[in-house]
Amino acid sequence: MSTARRIADVITLPARTVGSQTATVASGAASQVRVWTANEVDDWGRDNGFVDRFWAASRLRWDTCVGGTEHVPKRTGALIVVNARRFALAPVFSALAIGAAVDRPVRFVGRPDIAPLGPLMQRLGALLAIEGELEGALRAGELVVLGANHELGNHRTGQIDHRLVGAAVAAKVRVLPAATLSVPTRRSARVEIGPPARLTRKRRGPLEELELADHLQVRINALLDELGGATTGTPLDWLPFNGLGGI
Amino acid sequence: MAGVRVLVSGMGGELGSRVASLLEDEPWVGSLEGIDIDPPRRRLRRTVFHRIVPGQHDRTVDTVTKFDPHIVVHIAVWEPHARAGTETARSLNDDAVTSILGAAAECRALESIVVRSGIEVYGRARGSVTRPSEVEPRNPTSDYGRMLAEIERTARAIGRRVGVSVDKLRLATVLGPHVPSALGRVLRMPAVPFSAVANPPFAVIHQHDAAEAFVRAAKMRLDEPLNIVAPGAITAYQAIRRGHRLPVPLVGPEWFVARGLTYLAGAPIPDHVMEMFHRGRLADNTRAREVLGFSPATTTSDVIDQLYRWPTVIHQPASADWEAVAS
Repeated sequence: MSTARRIADVITLPARTVGSQTATVASGAASQVRVWTANEVDDWGRDNGFVDRFWAASRLRWDTCVGGTEHVPKRTGALIVVNARRFALAPVFSALAIGAAVDRPVRFVGRPDIAPLGPLMQRLGALLAIEGELEGALRAGELVVLGANHELGNHRTGQIDHRLVGAAVAAKVRVLPAATLSVPTRRSARVEIGPPARLTRKRRGPLEELELADHLQVRINALLDELGGATTGTPLDWLPFNGLGGI
Repeated sequence: MAGVRVLVSGMGGELGSRVASLLEDEPWVGSLEGIDIDPPRRRLRRTVFHRIVPGQHDRTVDTVTKFDPHIVVHIAVWEPHARAGTETARSLNDDAVTSILGAAAECRALESIVVRSGIEVYGRARGSVTRPSEVEPRNPTSDYGRMLAEIERTARAIGRRVGVSVDKLRLATVLGPHVPSALGRVLRMPAVPFSAVANPPFAVIHQHDAAEAFVRAAKMRLDEPLNIVAPGAITAYQAIRRGHRLPVPLVGPEWFVARGLTYLAGAPIPDHVMEMFHRGRLADNTRAREVLGFSPATTTSDVIDQLYRWPTVIHQPASADWEAVAS
C-alpha cells in the first residue's frame, strides 16, 4: 500500500466532517418531522398532537388562566361565545386554554376555506363559519368557541352572529358566555366562563336566536365589568379613570 | 316479516358478493337473486345469479319481473377508474340504474329500494360544509359525484312514481381486500403524490362495514339518505406514512405530470380522488348510527393499515414436480 493511500486513510478532510454533520442534522430533522406528522386526526380533522405542540408553544406568548370551567358540560356539546379584541386571536387561545382546563378537545369557529391556512387551522380544531358546520359539531357533542365581532379593546364585546348562535339553538345545546382579557404587551390572559345563557321568554321562531345573541352580548359585557374592565398593560391601568382603580 | 324476495344488482363485485352472503344468513330473506356482468366472487348457497350485461334491457326486465322482488338492493355502481374509465363508468351506471330500477318498478310486489351512492354527491366546493350530514344539499363537483347524484335522482323518481321507499346509502370510498378502487391503487404505489399545501383529512369505509349497512337498510326499509363512513379520519400524508411509501409533496402545476405518470403506472387519479387529495372528504355518520343502530367496526386508520397489509401478487415459476405429474 502506498504512503499516500495510508495517509488518506487516517486524514479526515474538513469537507467530509461537515458533510457528515450536515447529514446527521438533516437525518435528525427528518426524523423529528416524521414524529411530528405521525399523529392521527379526528373526525373533524383536528390533530391532537399538533394541538398539544401548538399549545406548548403558545404558552410562550400567553399565560392563560381559565375560570368558570364548572359551567362547561362534561360530555355533551356546548357553544362558548367570547369577546374578541382585534389581533388577539381570542377564539384560538380561548379554545386551547379551555381545552387544556377541561381536558376535552375544544374547537373554534372561523377558519378560511383556502389552503394552506385553512387546513392548518383545521388541524387546530377550527371550523368554518357556516351554520351547518357548527350545528353538526354541536350535535356530535363537541365544545365550540365562537368569537364575537372584533373590538379595539377589551372593554366591550362586539356583535354576535345570531345565525351561528341559531346553530346552537337548533342543536339544543347550552350556550355559555365567556369574557376574554388579554393585552398586547403582557403574557397574562384570562378566560372567565359564565353560567349558561337562558332566555326568560320562550320563542318559537328565529327571534329566539336574535334575542339570545343580544342576551349573550349583555352577559359578556357584565363578565368583562366583573373582571375589572379593560387593561392596557401600561401604567395607565393604575390611573383612577373610573373610580375603581382602572380604566 | 319472512319469505322476503330480495334482488341484488351488482352481485359480482366484492361488495355485492358480501351483501349477498350476509343476506343468505338473514332469517327474513326468503329467496335471493342477483344480477351482474361478472359472477359472484364467493360461494353462495341459496342465491340464484343471472349474468346480464347492463345494456341488455329486455333480459333484465324479464329476469326482474319474473322474480318479482319485494326489495331491490342496487349496488351496481361503477366508480371511474376503479374497473372502467370515466366514460365507460358513466354509460354502465346509466344503463344499470335505468334498466334494473326501471324493471323493478314494473314489479307489483316491490316495497323498497336501497341504492348505493357516495359522499361525493355533497361536493367540495369552496364554502361547503367540511363534514356534511344528510340534510346538506347535493352539490357534486366531480364526475363521480354527478353520476351518483343522477343515480339518486333516478331512484327517487322511480320510488315516488310507484310509491315505494328509497334508501340512499352514501358510502365513503370503499376499501378492502380485492375491492377495485382508484384511491387504493394510488396509495399502494411505491411513491405517492400528495398536496403539500392542503393535505386535508378524508374518511373511508371497509367493505364489510358497507355490506352490513346494506343488509340493515334492506331490513328496515327506510326512506332517506344515510352517510356510511368509518369513524376517524386520515390525511394523505399520514396514510402514505402508515404504508411506508415515499411521499411526494406537490404544490400545483406538477400535479398534471404526476397524474400522467400514475396513469402510465396503472393507477390513474380520477377527478374525485384528485378533489379528495386537495379538499378532503368527510361526512357525518351520526344519523346512520341512530337509525340503523349501526356503527362501522373498522376505523379509517385501520382500513388504511389493512390496505397496506394486502399481499402483492407473487408469480411462482412452474415447478418440475407438476410437469412430472402431468406427464
